[in-house]
Amino acid sequence: MSFKTWFVKRSPLPEMWREHMAEYYAPKNFNIFYYAGSLLLLMVVLQFLSGFLVLAHYIPSVRDAYDSVYGIMYDVHYGWLMQYMHVDGVSLIFVLLYIHMARGMLYGSYRAPRELVWVIGYTIYLAFMAEAFFGYILPYSNLSYWAGTVITSLFKSIPFIGEWVTTLVRGGSGMSGDTLDRFMALHVTVVFMVIVGLIVFHILYLHKVGSNNPDGLEIKANKGPDGHPVDAIPFHPYYSVKDLFGFGVWLFIFAAIIFYAPTVHHIFLERTMSTPANPLKSLPDVTPPWYLSPFYAMLRAIPNKNGGIILMVVAVVFPFILPWLDRNPVISTRYRPITRIMLIIFFANFLMLAYLGEQPPLPKYFILERVGAVIYVAFFILLPFVSKFEPTRTPPARVRFRAH
Amino acid sequence: MKKYVVWAGMALGLLASAPGAFADNGPKMMAPHYTYNAKTIIAGAKLFATDCMACHSIKFMRYEFLTNDLGMSKADVHKYIMLPTGSNYKGNMVSAMPTDMAHKWFGLPPPDLSQIVRYKSQNWVYTYLLSFYLDPQRPSGWNNHVFPNVAMPDVLALHSGFVNEQGKVLRAGDESPQQFKEQVSDIVAFLRFVSDPSVVQRHDAGPWVLGLLALFIIFAYFLKKEYWRDVK
Amino acid sequence: MSDEAQDNKQAPNITRRRFLTALVTVSGVAVAGTIAVPMVKSLDPTAAAAALATTTIDLSPIEPGMQMVALWQEKPVIVVNRTPEMLASLDEAEQKGILKDPHCNIPQQPPYCKNKYRSRVAEWYVGIKICNHLCCIPHYRPKKASVAPWWLGGFHCPCHGSMYDLSARVIKGSPAPHNMAVPEYDIDVEKKSVVVTNMYPLAHLC
Repeated sequence: MSFKTWFVKRSPLPEMWREHMAEYYAPKNFNIFYYAGSLLLLMVVLQFLSGFLVLAHYIPSVRDAYDSVYGIMYDVHYGWLMQYMHVDGVSLIFVLLYIHMARGMLYGSYRAPRELVWVIGYTIYLAFMAEAFFGYILPYSNLSYWAGTVITSLFKSIPFIGEWVTTLVRGGSGMSGDTLDRFMALHVTVVFMVIVGLIVFHILYLHKVGSNNPDGLEIKANKGPDGHPVDAIPFHPYYSVKDLFGFGVWLFIFAAIIFYAPTVHHIFLERTMSTPANPLKSLPDVTPPWYLSPFYAMLRAIPNKNGGIILMVVAVVFPFILPWLDRNPVISTRYRPITRIMLIIFFANFLMLAYLGEQPPLPKYFILERVGAVIYVAFFILLPFVSKFEPTRTPPARVRFRAH
Repeated sequence: MKKYVVWAGMALGLLASAPGAFADNGPKMMAPHYTYNAKTIIAGAKLFATDCMACHSIKFMRYEFLTNDLGMSKADVHKYIMLPTGSNYKGNMVSAMPTDMAHKWFGLPPPDLSQIVRYKSQNWVYTYLLSFYLDPQRPSGWNNHVFPNVAMPDVLALHSGFVNEQGKVLRAGDESPQQFKEQVSDIVAFLRFVSDPSVVQRHDAGPWVLGLLALFIIFAYFLKKEYWRDVK
Repeated sequence: MSDEAQDNKQAPNITRRRFLTALVTVSGVAVAGTIAVPMVKSLDPTAAAAALATTTIDLSPIEPGMQMVALWQEKPVIVVNRTPEMLASLDEAEQKGILKDPHCNIPQQPPYCKNKYRSRVAEWYVGIKICNHLCCIPHYRPKKASVAPWWLGGFHCPCHGSMYDLSARVIKGSPAPHNMAVPEYDIDVEKKSVVVTNMYPLAHLC
């Protein structure tokens, strides 16, 4: 008996390989936006490795946290590489998450039967927000201190139990060494494990129903004599070699950032990260990292504390119900010009909110912030009506694909 | 393809517009002039050791980094940089001033400058060093346009000359304004290096890593193309 | 590879595919290596640890026949002030032929300590007090016949009974394989001080 037959008899791996790689049939017309998914997997692995290596030198205490983080930069061999990989990796993950989600919205990947794929995926995005937040508290810079104070104080707005929740999260009345301890524990165990678990579910749920495509056509409706969809190709080797190429390009971008512009104009690594926590000196303006700032802009748009928080929570929760808001039989916005225009306005508006969220809280920005918040919410409120009545073009019978 | 360019353009526009957004009220920031290389940084390090390190630490730096990263000889580091006797060549570059004395003299300890360029930007540091003026109201006798009521006196005044708030030169320094600006630029170059000494390793390794990745991209592209000839 | 995908198409160019796969694999492994090597290197001792590398020991309180242990890089360094009679016991041990490596041929010490005293200055033994067997700390037993009737003085490990003479040379019948390690150091007898600078890189600690 050869080793191979011995192994195959005992291991689920060959079967899993067939099911999810060699015999997972994916539409052949994926475009450039479809690289984001596999790149996210790559980034999570790199984030895990660099995270483990910076954690190996990190001390979670008020006295030592900041110095230990800079000890990694200055004293650890290639510590700067681990640190920049971990710091810039976060921003790049969010770049990919936004591309991945925007693609899903453009081509209707959240539509039946893929609602749960969308819901799980959106939960991963929220988990990444939490992971990133806990992560940037850990260096205990002045940004960490004040961002931690501001964000944890949001919990105070929860009715009745707000004070209790805030104290529970902080481990005291304000930021302290205990806060640092529990945030590190959350960052490296619970939240990270939730992300990994949800990613596994995201892929399993996707492979159960099959991938959508830019034309929004159900490829299983048109099967060839061999029983496989005629417009689909096995994931391996076709998409695996394609993604390998994607890995190369993406790593090139990642490396270029790390080696030549690690702070990316202090957008990926803020200036206030470079000064230790000082409870006596608040920052000139506390702005969140760019990937959270759209929601922050909406928080500021309403001149009422609880009103702002409610708007922000609504803005965060709305995308969950997106699959049930869209009621048009045509899936992809390629054949729904009005929804497509709405989406493009929505994306541009999101970028505008991201920009506004980074600005100091000056009155001249408030009007725009309110307009942005209205457009954001209006998209979700209008979608059920627009999708029901909008004129559509007839999608083709087969996916659009030009052989290379 | 065209639409990808549009998308990329929008993203880049956003990135580019963000840093300029933080409007600073106060004097206009000036930019130092220097070529960022080992020679400039070492010149700045020598000035920093003589003029700044009596009070300011750069605690994340170690003396040996000047040798390891910039190629300064160990003998030179001992001679020009390690002025306080008894410091350790492998140790951190900390000022010899005791913290309690600093409290007594200045009301607060002089800040550590390891990350000052990262924190404030090099233009800020440069402009700050050029913006001192005589102010009899202040305990130190000095004030600053960039950092009003700063506790630090103008330690470089002997070189730059004494000026009053309106910029009138009361006593000329021992260096011409041009010379002085060059020296301050060197100090800023050194502090920029101190803020991120990895720049040497990064720029050494960068081309090799990117070259290797480019090779991988080319091979992977042709492999992908080869397989996708099947897909009609 | 799937056969279905190639129905009614010309056969793929297998040689070309194999060649390109090999190129991608080799360069891919190189890319993985450029990520992996710095990652492993980042676990090396840091510059902060290296800065704490030296320890200065003051010899003045150590009377003849006495010893002192100092902590150096989280390791015990022993300094023994040997009397002429203790030094004589080293020759005796050699003559009796009880030593595994009497001439210190295994580089457990810097070259300048490759002598029967295993030190720079005969009287002063400086060494790392860690048993070569399983990293225990041996006891200092200078008195004759204190461990066994034939005992000439030396070190005795409480864990598994390894024995060493007063130059920390291992005695036959011990589980320990080598003599105890000697670090690199400078000694100044006039100023009565020892500076321990480095671990001798070839020495095997335990």
